[in-house]
Amino acid sequence: MRGKELKIEEHLIVDKPFYLEQGEELPIARAAHENGLPILLKGPTGCGKSRFMQRLAWELQRPLITVSCHDDLSTSDLVGRYLIRGGEAVWLDGPLTKAVRNGALCYLDEIVEARKDTTVVIHPLADDRRELPIEKLGELLTAPPEFMLAISYNPGYQSVLKDLKQSTRQRFVSLEFAYPPEELETAIVKSESGLDAERATRLVRLAAMTRSLKDSGLPEGASTRLLIHAGKLIKAGIAERTAIRATITETLTDEHEMLAALEELVSSLF
Amino acid sequence: MQKNDLKARFAEAILPDILNDWELEELIEPLLPLSEEQLGETLRQVRVIWPVSHSLCGNFLQRVAEGLRCLAPDQLADWVKAVLDAYESGGLLAGQALLDEVEKNFLCRLRGETKVRFPEAAGSLAPYATGLFGSPVALAQGPEVYTDTATIFLPPELDLLPTRTDNFRLYKLTISFQWAFTTLGTFRPSLAEAAPLVKGLEQCAHRRLATAEPWLAEFFQLFPSPEQAERLYHLAETARAAAFLRAALPGLMRECAPLLGLLAEKVLSGNHNLLYSALQESILGHKPDSAPASAAASLALLADAYAALAAGETIPAPLPFQGVLRLAAVQEVRQKRRREAKAKFITALASLLGTKNAQIPLSAEKNQETATPKISEGQALLINPEKQKKRPGSPPPSARETTSFLTIDDTLLPLPRELQALAREINDDLGHVPAQYISSAMHLSGKGVARGAPPPGEEGEALGGVNIYDEWDFRRRDFRKNWCSLSLKEIAPTRGTFIGSTLAKYGGDLMKLRRQFEMLRTQERFVKRQKEGDDIDLDALTESLTDLRAGLAPSENLFIRLAREQRSVAALFLVDLSSSTEGWVGTAIKEALVLLCESLAALGDPYGIYGFSGMRRSRAELFHIKHLDEPYNDTVKGRIAAIAPREYTRMGPPIRHLTRILSEREAKIRLLITISDGKPEDYDGYKGDYAIEDTRHALIEAKSKGIHPFCITIDRQAHDYIAHMYGEVNYIFINEVRKLPRRIPEIYRTLTT
Repeated sequence: MRGKELKIEEHLIVDKPFYLEQGEELPIARAAHENGLPILLKGPTGCGKSRFMQRLAWELQRPLITVSCHDDLSTSDLVGRYLIRGGEAVWLDGPLTKAVRNGALCYLDEIVEARKDTTVVIHPLADDRRELPIEKLGELLTAPPEFMLAISYNPGYQSVLKDLKQSTRQRFVSLEFAYPPEELETAIVKSESGLDAERATRLVRLAAMTRSLKDSGLPEGASTRLLIHAGKLIKAGIAERTAIRATITETLTDEHEMLAALEELVSSLF
Repeated sequence: MQKNDLKARFAEAILPDILNDWELEELIEPLLPLSEEQLGETLRQVRVIWPVSHSLCGNFLQRVAEGLRCLAPDQLADWVKAVLDAYESGGLLAGQALLDEVEKNFLCRLRGETKVRFPEAAGSLAPYATGLFGSPVALAQGPEVYTDTATIFLPPELDLLPTRTDNFRLYKLTISFQWAFTTLGTFRPSLAEAAPLVKGLEQCAHRRLATAEPWLAEFFQLFPSPEQAERLYHLAETARAAAFLRAALPGLMRECAPLLGLLAEKVLSGNHNLLYSALQESILGHKPDSAPASAAASLALLADAYAALAAGETIPAPLPFQGVLRLAAVQEVRQKRRREAKAKFITALASLLGTKNAQIPLSAEKNQETATPKISEGQALLINPEKQKKRPGSPPPSARETTSFLTIDDTLLPLPRELQALAREINDDLGHVPAQYISSAMHLSGKGVARGAPPPGEEGEALGGVNIYDEWDFRRRDFRKNWCSLSLKEIAPTRGTFIGSTLAKYGGDLMKLRRQFEMLRTQERFVKRQKEGDDIDLDALTESLTDLRAGLAPSENLFIRLAREQRSVAALFLVDLSSSTEGWVGTAIKEALVLLCESLAALGDPYGIYGFSGMRRSRAELFHIKHLDEPYNDTVKGRIAAIAPREYTRMGPPIRHLTRILSEREAKIRLLITISDGKPEDYDGYKGDYAIEDTRHALIEAKSKGIHPFCITIDRQAHDYIAHMYGEVNYIFINEVRKLPRRIPEIYRTLTT
């Protein structure tokens, strides 16, 4: 905490992030921003939610502050707290407060991982009040029009413990993300990893096969992110099957028979 | 070896059964020539087989001398294991078959360098097939290779090729080809595309195809020999599938190129028919262009080839990976899927409409007639997204929108995801969702089926069918497959004074217990003197500043943190209802359950209670007292009051069943608490070490699924076996039965904090 603080300008995204639209998520998000509405991104892991946020922040020319939520995340972790420095109490803004003060985009990644009582602090920010009360300072911050709140969650976990409260989710404009359709995903893998179209197509086909094994032994299919990792290793000169084993098959499962089956799929395709 | 000595050793091995002298003599007769080492191992195996089947053991003794001629003594156990597996899956005859001709039926399999058997390969091939198909596909063994699109039938073993790897690859290739047939639409070619061809054939055959939905099998009927036509068509399709696979699964086709060549040559060479050589070329990939481009092209190719057939010429047998066409089976699966989709769609839609109707506030709750037909047939319509797009004037839906809507009285009713998927499936199959489906659903919702409660259960009425479980046989160190059947039953609640009197008897204890449990409810507490935290700890700060002034090193732990531990506990209680609990033991258990439920009501953890008993492996019984999420109400109280001792204590199956329930539950702590009064025991051979080892194994299975088993016992001899079953610290022994009711809630509290 006493280390150097990131300045808000450092949250600005300078280079245009690569992002291919799946539907109309960008216009919707831009319209939501203009109207001061918060957004909720739903979708499986590694399908491009975070990249979408980067692209949006770049287009809006606002800094992006990302908080990865975890089950010990408390309200003060978001809003801020007093620290003792040289015998004096010093207030330190949390990431949410910092975003509100600077009119940045605040992205709470995997919001369901956070404790339920923590989630409630974003309520007044997420409706038409757009306010953030800071109890300890006795301050009530009103968000500038540039500020935008975004949260993400993965409905695929299907856990009762980790579901988003209705009172929370009904404040948001929801954008659903799925794994992109074949051509689009191929284009993404190709561009991100620099792999040729032919091998990128085969990687995407492999991913589709693993995704259909979801609920038949695999907890989750290969994400676009994994395909990009595989593509990068292949591009770096690792043999195809070895690269895929390291990035996809071994990552997806530890189970012996499932590994063998995935290996068979890989050896059929490559 | 002395005959009498051997007789005594044998008699000891089959204890507790006792045989006549002459029976023993007859049984041990074949063992006399064996060496001491062989004999020791044989007798060890006798202990394994004898309790399973006496006659199988007799057969074993007959054959063992012969078997030992080619098996080493330490291979005997594997042989017996295989025999018992065969016995349990296929009966005495299957077991005997494996005993006869040990060389042919067992040893070569043990050596089995080249042969791949289906069960060995199925483990990794099943997910492979599912991955290819994109939806779950079953693999099964059968005499012929074919697919009905839901199941792929494969040969029980493959030994066509010189190496094991190649034989496994052949399995894989076979599955891939069946997938290609399914994906390419081999079973459902568009006959409309081949219209001129069909017309010509119809003229020749002087008959017409049914117009509504012509099926491929009917098309073949137009040829003088439908069977030959079918085989030619399948051959052409195989060439098409090979070309397709070469593009879709290049790795597979590269690996399989040598064996493809080997197989195709065997079957197709020697034929000089132009079609065959062309197909052979394309299957082998020499001339991929020669493969037909579509199913319709295959039909045309078939017509040409059929015309070119010389009189009496036979068509080559299908390639091993190609299999045969079973159009009837495919059609059956399709019809079945259609029926299922229809039934599911109608019930799902009916329940949706039912809840919609229920939301309309109506005073006539009892009068079903007025409550229901709010929707008339003509007013409901299912709109497909494609159709919606075509509607003039309506805003174009976004590319990713796939929602279907139902219009009722001109209001749009969005369909839940599951129903949308069904509608899409039906649409893919039939091209539209028939109006009849919707009207049936409305009719059904009118009857209130979706809202109907099941009839109240009677005493011992079976719930949810029978569950089959394996049982661990420690002598074999393997499972007896599908050995026990466990039925879930209902206890009919009784009304009586039991609950009331128990509450009165333990009034004081209950107050204390409730208070203790309430304190557990939310574990929020402030932790002082932390390095990081939500607030400043003023005491610590003062101290630190004083220290600083005094020239001491100040502490850095200056914060208060609110530590919150959310309770995430799910517990299942398994109560022994064996006949030995008759009397005050049973009463104490019942009282304990009442106190437990009362205390847990204050806490709010989800918990379930089940009782178990039964007799023999075919009738293990699990009695439902309370499900995990069922509220503690009068019905549950009535069931506790109705608990009565029943039969025996077969512990394995109920533990395995509850393990399954708990493993589907998400919670940080998952507890399986058994309340018992003695050793596991059943009427058949389930006793002694066997019963203890099976129970122990069931508990190990539970632990491996992240469930903590715990046992509360009142058996005085428990120390002998219970530590072995549950592990040193996972049980508690209560020496006075009357303490049981007070102790159980306490034990639960300590276990979960």
